[in-house]
Amino acid sequence: MEFIDIVLSISDGVLFGTTYALIGIGFTMIFGVMHKINLAYAATSIGGAYVSWAISTLVPLPAILVFLISAIAAGVIGWLVYLCCFRLVPLDTPLTTLLATVGMLIFIDEVVVHETDGMPQPYPAIFDDVFFEFGEFGLRGDLLFIFVLSFAAMLVLLYLLYRTRLGIATRAVAQQPMAAQLCGISIERTNASTFVITGMLGGLAGAMIGASVGVLSPLLTLPVTVKGLIVTVIGGLGSIPGAIIAGLMVGAFENLFLALRGVTERDMYVMLLLFLFLTFRPGGLFHRSALRD
Amino acid sequence: MLELKVLSKHFGGVRAVDDLSLAVEKGQIFGLIGPNGSGKSTTVNLICGVFPVTSGRVLLDGKDITRAQPHQTLAAGIARTFQNIRLFGQLTVWQNLWVAQNGLEDRQRENFLRRWMSGNRRARESVEELLEFSGLADKRDALARNLAFGEQRRLELARALSAKPKLLLLDEPAAGMNLEEVGALDDRLRKIQDRGVTILLVEHVMDLVMGVTDRIAVLNFGKKIAEGTPAEIQDDPAVQEAYLGGAGGRRAAAAG
Repeated sequence: MEFIDIVLSISDGVLFGTTYALIGIGFTMIFGVMHKINLAYAATSIGGAYVSWAISTLVPLPAILVFLISAIAAGVIGWLVYLCCFRLVPLDTPLTTLLATVGMLIFIDEVVVHETDGMPQPYPAIFDDVFFEFGEFGLRGDLLFIFVLSFAAMLVLLYLLYRTRLGIATRAVAQQPMAAQLCGISIERTNASTFVITGMLGGLAGAMIGASVGVLSPLLTLPVTVKGLIVTVIGGLGSIPGAIIAGLMVGAFENLFLALRGVTERDMYVMLLLFLFLTFRPGGLFHRSALRD
Repeated sequence: MLELKVLSKHFGGVRAVDDLSLAVEKGQIFGLIGPNGSGKSTTVNLICGVFPVTSGRVLLDGKDITRAQPHQTLAAGIARTFQNIRLFGQLTVWQNLWVAQNGLEDRQRENFLRRWMSGNRRARESVEELLEFSGLADKRDALARNLAFGEQRRLELARALSAKPKLLLLDEPAAGMNLEEVGALDDRLRKIQDRGVTILLVEHVMDLVMGVTDRIAVLNFGKKIAEGTPAEIQDDPAVQEAYLGGAGGRRAAAAG
């Protein structure tokens, strides 16, 4: 294996890793605000992508619109997940909400399997015929597009969180829920908006994962859930910058070992990375998070 | 304006607040004192809806708010500060006051569109005024957790005023302050009173309580053992017993 191949696989991995970063941000933000894990989050994201696929089979749409529909649909699904698993379920027993989200994960998966007979469905890609060459080095156009779109979404999110009243209120709830309530911030409204916003990020990520693989399959939910959780743990629970860096790291790691050791062994090494973090830095990259105090 | 009617809160077998009744008049600074563990903070938490009430009623201007959630008591016009300061540490001073503007907007049902069209002018001006009032104008961009202790107390007080409350609950606002800071707090409380805000002050620092309050109630083991003007309270033998009686006083009260 040539050195340039290693560089290429790492750079492709970093570009694709932005989708993992988005998924990780979703997990981490919900944890930051509610101190709860939403295991249905990756299913929400893939579910959004499926809705956009279903619409695109009815009306032919340009790929970018399909992505947008995926984001909006996942935002709606995110709100439904909040309603079913957090709003209507008592919050003071931690296991209840966790199990409710597991139920939701399986439910969304089952709906998808039922509607598609479990067959993978083709998903449109953008710029997959473009390739940028720099001598020996090169970048895939579709991955570069994913990278740019993901970072644009992250910038919008950070603007929202740090510059708007909604975002500042969200951070206030994450830091001091009781005091926030006594400042007139409705915790329920903040939680709901967090689920919608993270749902939209996830829908975008789900669409881009589908686009880069070329198909949507119900088999995507589990690995994306696992990767999202790994990114969240490595980044540090509740930390958005942590999730971004960890997402790129996991993407690069995964793609490097895909090239070095093949697809069957790839995930073993990602798990090994997680193991190293849990052993030597259990708090993740960023101990103190951006959201929490 | 604020009435507690035979209010009780039991934690298991412990009667943290036991058949407490009192009435705070509009415009008063009302002191609530008592030894540690006498139920003062619990009373504050019951009034603003942090804990559910075991029995009894809380009335604000005759309106029953016994079962109200914290954001609803705020909407009804009650704001508070905490014994252990609870600022939004990762937000700046300005942002701490900015998010608290939600409270007033909900109370006055400000029209979202009009608010947005004017660039939140009312809220921005209100934040500026509060920065000025609390003497934190030059710290506006500092993170709240990096403020000095006294500044954090001032910020929390300003944040509580954001919603223009009718009633302000202060849970030991002078805790950990030096004499000079207590003097400044005394001034500030009187200024707040001049704005027409009624204050319920829970405090251990007797210089402040005796100087600034119009009326005082004394709690011991969740029960009210005395109520009156500061002068009356200072001369009350039951109060002296509760504070100074030590073990004897405790036994007597426990037996009663």
